[in-house]
Amino acid sequence: MTTTAPSPSNPAEAADNGGDAPGPLLRAWRAILTRRELLLVILLVVVLVWMTALSYGGYLTGPYDPDYLATSLVDAVPLAMLALAELLVIVSGRGGIDLSIGSIVSLTGMVFGIVHGLWGWPVAAAILLAVLVGGLLGAVNGVLIAWLGFPALITTLATYYAYRSLALVINAQKPISTPNIQSLYSLTGAVGIPVIGHDIPNVPLGVFTFLVPTVVVVWLLLQRTTYGRRLFAIGTNDVAATWSGVPVARTRLLAYVLAGVLAGVVAVYVTGQFASARPDAGTSGNGLALPAITIAVLGGVAITGGIGRVSGVLLAAVLITWLDAGILLMFEGNDGTQFQLLALGAVLVFCALLNSFTTRRYGGTR
Amino acid sequence: MTATSTPPPTRGAKRARGPRVIAPLVSGQEVVLLAVIAVLWLVLGFATPAFLTAGSLRPLLIEVAPIALIGVGMTLVIVAAGIDVSVGSQMMVCGVITARLLVEAHVPLPLAALVSVLVGAVMGAVNGVLIAWGRVHAIIITFGTLNLFQFVGRQIFGSQTVNGIPATLDVFGRGEPGQTLGLPHSFLLTAVIAGAVWWYLRQTPGGRHFYAIGGDALAAELAGIRVRRRVLLAYVVTGALVGLAAIFTIAKGTTTLDQSIGAGEELAVIAAVIIGGTSIMGGRGSVLGTILGALLVQTVTSGVTQLGWPSNLSDLFVGVFVIIAVGTDLLRQRTRRVDQ
Repeated sequence: MTTTAPSPSNPAEAADNGGDAPGPLLRAWRAILTRRELLLVILLVVVLVWMTALSYGGYLTGPYDPDYLATSLVDAVPLAMLALAELLVIVSGRGGIDLSIGSIVSLTGMVFGIVHGLWGWPVAAAILLAVLVGGLLGAVNGVLIAWLGFPALITTLATYYAYRSLALVINAQKPISTPNIQSLYSLTGAVGIPVIGHDIPNVPLGVFTFLVPTVVVVWLLLQRTTYGRRLFAIGTNDVAATWSGVPVARTRLLAYVLAGVLAGVVAVYVTGQFASARPDAGTSGNGLALPAITIAVLGGVAITGGIGRVSGVLLAAVLITWLDAGILLMFEGNDGTQFQLLALGAVLVFCALLNSFTTRRYGGTR
Repeated sequence: MTATSTPPPTRGAKRARGPRVIAPLVSGQEVVLLAVIAVLWLVLGFATPAFLTAGSLRPLLIEVAPIALIGVGMTLVIVAAGIDVSVGSQMMVCGVITARLLVEAHVPLPLAALVSVLVGAVMGAVNGVLIAWGRVHAIIITFGTLNLFQFVGRQIFGSQTVNGIPATLDVFGRGEPGQTLGLPHSFLLTAVIAGAVWWYLRQTPGGRHFYAIGGDALAAELAGIRVRRRVLLAYVVTGALVGLAAIFTIAKGTTTLDQSIGAGEELAVIAAVIIGGTSIMGGRGSVLGTILGALLVQTVTSGVTQLGWPSNLSDLFVGVFVIIAVGTDLLRQRTRRVDQ
């Protein structure tokens, strides 16, 4: 079941999947389980209604209103982009996963900080270099995994530590926040949207300069190019793909390179967001890889490869961001971040079990 | 063919009669590891004359003990083709519970240790049940529980640190009460447990089942092995050993316990197991290799500091060692495949 096109539910298919004709309730239940976007939209509505109710009841420490939601999207940008990177890698199959992605963000961020902040390279050249370095670090993963057949899990765990170590050592553990870097802060400021800007709150600029282009490019790549079809093919069954003449190793290698490139772009964004290139930008706390993988799995990406959609990942990223933003308001002080851990862990375990259940019962999500 | 690694004691027609063929006590990887460790110690000994002295090697053994101890459990998990990245968070929960029991309830050490081991086993059981019965890949489940356990640990911490850890823990500490014949107690206890698990894995049918599951879980199931129970057992044992390792870790620290306990422990442990020759794909590995792997990881970490290099650089070397270990494992599998 690798189809990624939204196929309308087909009566014949519904009939053979249970013997007798399912009632409307059963059909709705199945639709919720197999259409991940539907489930996510329902969850999103639940979270929004629940938090808004709490907000009106005065249980939150601040207002949970459209302005707050729009501002919190600033955190959704890196998460969604890294989740898309994980989408590419996980879809490529054979246990594909990239644990090193947070370290790549840290290391490329430091490289970007050094060339732009300390050596004074122009922004465009520095961004280009960051993307190249990200791609190179991803290529190290890709060569080991796709060409040499290393298991992705342990390989990217090893490179996670190697890259993190380099990011910490490269500038003696000191962040870089020269005026050059600080001026990048405007990248993430909020802007009004023209024409309809009066009716909706201001949205962070990064959504338009970073997230939307990335989403469009990744979607086009997966749905409208030969490469995308090949990626799903090798993820579903790489032996069959080999016999069909798909260059399996090269296709899989490119998935890791692209993940690295995306991490490089995120590094630039995160540097702007904090107005400083931090050596632990992608690795502090539990790092960025864990939420990225959680979002990908929540978005319906099958950990076994070959299944996953951009829209699901995007919805999952927004859901996690708004849930986190709400949790932060529910508690005074530091407690909120702890309950975010709880929510993230519970969501990951729950949706992994759900994915496993739907795969066995209905042949997977669409 | 992903045959189990250590060749079974008897094979094919020879099973009925003929001499029982005993597998060698040490495998090739372990000899190589011993050589690498010896070379590293010699090099470090020349570079910093203080390295090859009891005053420098004893702390090394004390640092190795928790990594090696958890590694013993992790060997079971990885041999059965699983993984557990939540051990660091488990250690945090066990550590804070033990510390608070000792400081606030004045519980005697043996009882506190028992509670710690039990709490660890319960957390391991959570992992094991979710993985074995939920049929989800272990990395995803343990990534999730990593967060859950960390939440629990931080909730119990409440304030930032636990202060005034009593001197009863000195039996596992760095000082004079913590050693017999110059060897630290924590390392001796680890060696005893490792020996027991080594024997269990090598010589008992139950132990061999782990290799069968790691080689091919479906075939093992069809051969009548209770796969789920074995998988559950592997995670429970790991959790229980984390509980004991948490006590070693508190004992080797200061009288103050902060929230960083257990951070990054999972890497050191997984690296030790993989460097020790256990295949990440499951079905091959030994406890002895894990102990040597832990020794190598800790030697690298101590060596980097003693040479005066930035301490963060040690992760780079550990990462490279893991890649090399996985590479040799793959190479070995390819040559075996060609042989057959």
